[in-house]
Amino acid sequence: MAEPILEVSGLVKHYPLMQGVLFKKQVGAVKAVDGVDFTLGKGETLGIVGESGCGKSTVARLLCNLERPTAGSIRFKGEDITRLSGKALKAVRRNIQMVFQDPYTSLNPRMTVGDIIGEPYEIHPEVAPKGDRRRRVRELLDVVGLNPEYINRYPHQFSGGQRQRIGIARGLALRPQVIVADEPVSALDVSVQAQVINLLDGLQSEFDLSYVFIAHDLSIVRHISDRVGVMYLGRIVEIGSDAEIYDHPTHPYTQALLSAVPVPDPEARERRERIILTGDVPSPTNIPSGCRFRTRCWKAQERCALEVPALAVPEGFRGASGPAVHDSACHFAEEKQVVPPEAAENGNGPG
Amino acid sequence: MLLEVRDLHVEFRTRDGVAKAVNGVSYGVDAGETLAVLGESGSGKSVTAQAVMGILDMPPGRITGGEVFFQGKDVLKLKEEERRRLRGYGMAMIFQDALSALNPVLSVGDQLGEMFVVHRRMSKKDARAKAVELMDRVRIPGAAERVRDYPHQFSGGMRQRIMIAMALALEPALIIADEPTTALDVTVQAQVMDLLAELQREYHMGLILITHDLGVVADVADRIAVMYAGKIVESAPVHDIYKSPAHPYTRGLLDSIPRLDQKGQELYAIKGLPPNLMNIPPGCAFHPRCPMAQDVCRTDVPPLYEVSEERGSACHFWRECLHG
Repeated sequence: MAEPILEVSGLVKHYPLMQGVLFKKQVGAVKAVDGVDFTLGKGETLGIVGESGCGKSTVARLLCNLERPTAGSIRFKGEDITRLSGKALKAVRRNIQMVFQDPYTSLNPRMTVGDIIGEPYEIHPEVAPKGDRRRRVRELLDVVGLNPEYINRYPHQFSGGQRQRIGIARGLALRPQVIVADEPVSALDVSVQAQVINLLDGLQSEFDLSYVFIAHDLSIVRHISDRVGVMYLGRIVEIGSDAEIYDHPTHPYTQALLSAVPVPDPEARERRERIILTGDVPSPTNIPSGCRFRTRCWKAQERCALEVPALAVPEGFRGASGPAVHDSACHFAEEKQVVPPEAAENGNGPG
Repeated sequence: MLLEVRDLHVEFRTRDGVAKAVNGVSYGVDAGETLAVLGESGSGKSVTAQAVMGILDMPPGRITGGEVFFQGKDVLKLKEEERRRLRGYGMAMIFQDALSALNPVLSVGDQLGEMFVVHRRMSKKDARAKAVELMDRVRIPGAAERVRDYPHQFSGGMRQRIMIAMALALEPALIIADEPTTALDVTVQAQVMDLLAELQREYHMGLILITHDLGVVADVADRIAVMYAGKIVESAPVHDIYKSPAHPYTRGLLDSIPRLDQKGQELYAIKGLPPNLMNIPPGCAFHPRCPMAQDVCRTDVPPLYEVSEERGSACHFWRECLHG
């Protein structure tokens, strides 16, 4: 892997649950993020997938320093950024920018596009002198594929896809090194999604960016990511390269998640083995003991209730080699192919 | 044919002008059949369904032409009272967002039971028993205890099951499901789709599945109608359309989705944006975005050409698209 730009270790975020009017006391905690470790290499894209409530968006907010973690560290180029304040914090924030999910609510409707994209310069005036800002904003509009003449328009005059481009331009304004994108295309129509994904892809090489790409759509994550981490109830349960995760998953949750994705190929209907999980995700206030996935897992045994599985190469795979050997937090990890490889032959090439 | 929509036109009069949401849609569903209506936002897929159900907001909406035959009767000519009776008994709808479709201040048992009290004049007690039975049928664990719970006490998947139970209550012949799993996580999505397909087989109902997700469609549909700018641009059995689309829009949609089993290069992207419904391009509405567009596309509206006995495509160059 390339030299790491972000190193996250033991990241925890608990939100206390309070009770009482006058004398508040803590009665529990929502364990949104409960021990997450990963590294992001320079120029790399790390995809994080998981279902709603698994803590993936909280991880995004922690990475951008919008929230302070309960425990753990986030190192940006070797420096722990979680305890910074004042000037040092501001400097770091410049380097880690965020692109939000909903292009309809993340842009101020009363500001022009020029003001929205230029606002980061007000906060970090050292990046661009006042006289130069309009020119930079026009340049950014051009970079994200919008007409620079639109600089005085308001967000409502744009479609969803165009708004997301504005959000991306704002994220790029300060020339950050890391972009955290939280579900950047899930609010967009299929035909527009592809345009925005291609844009993100192109910008990465143009500006030498590293991405943390958070989404619930496994197909999109595979398309854009070099490595993928699968989250469940506040923890990463399996992490590896895209081929390791998609073609050789060893964690039962990853396998179930992959098998549940509808594939746009009616012939795969018969060929595919579907693992349909029973029940819902447990509440993050009351996480099961041992392995947190055991309540929905078809492999669960006594050991799973007692012992928390570590995110490491599973016992059975130690000493072996090949794509099945990667970090997976399961006591009974086993390789299982869920995405039928033959399906690739039926795919439509770009038309 | 259980339901047949013929040349339906719907428009919305707004302050800024007339938005032509549905411009001549025709489709049919048989008992036991699943028709998927596929389209992006603004394609008119939901408005068509609302017109069929008789729940279109009028005004601003207006049905300006067409017929909707259900079990042989033109429902657009029925009186409001007759239509109300048809909803529930004849056809029922499942909405996308279960949390906002359910009443937050009534327990789910009351909401399910209401169907029986109003339509079947049952006593409250019998209706409650029926509600429990329905919740059992959509596999909500502990139905007898949970019947008193309120919508917010259920998870998203469970709420969608309650919506399904409500639609099934009076055993309708047709169910229209508008993006029933869009708000759900993939693992839950699979559970809910499976349940819906199973119940459809059991009751031999017609099912219209409205969605934007090509993946979901491939898993459950028999036939697909692809909509663009208020028109059906392609209609075909599910196997044909994925193998060889006969309309450039369908082809573009299929090519622009990233696939789980492939790590692609650059994604194919349909250029441009869906049209403004107040100002639909002349000729073929898709021509400004179409890679195959010729002069004739800018002037002549393509009819739904017969590709085969079971297929239609509204493209002047469907042959080239099919084989190209």
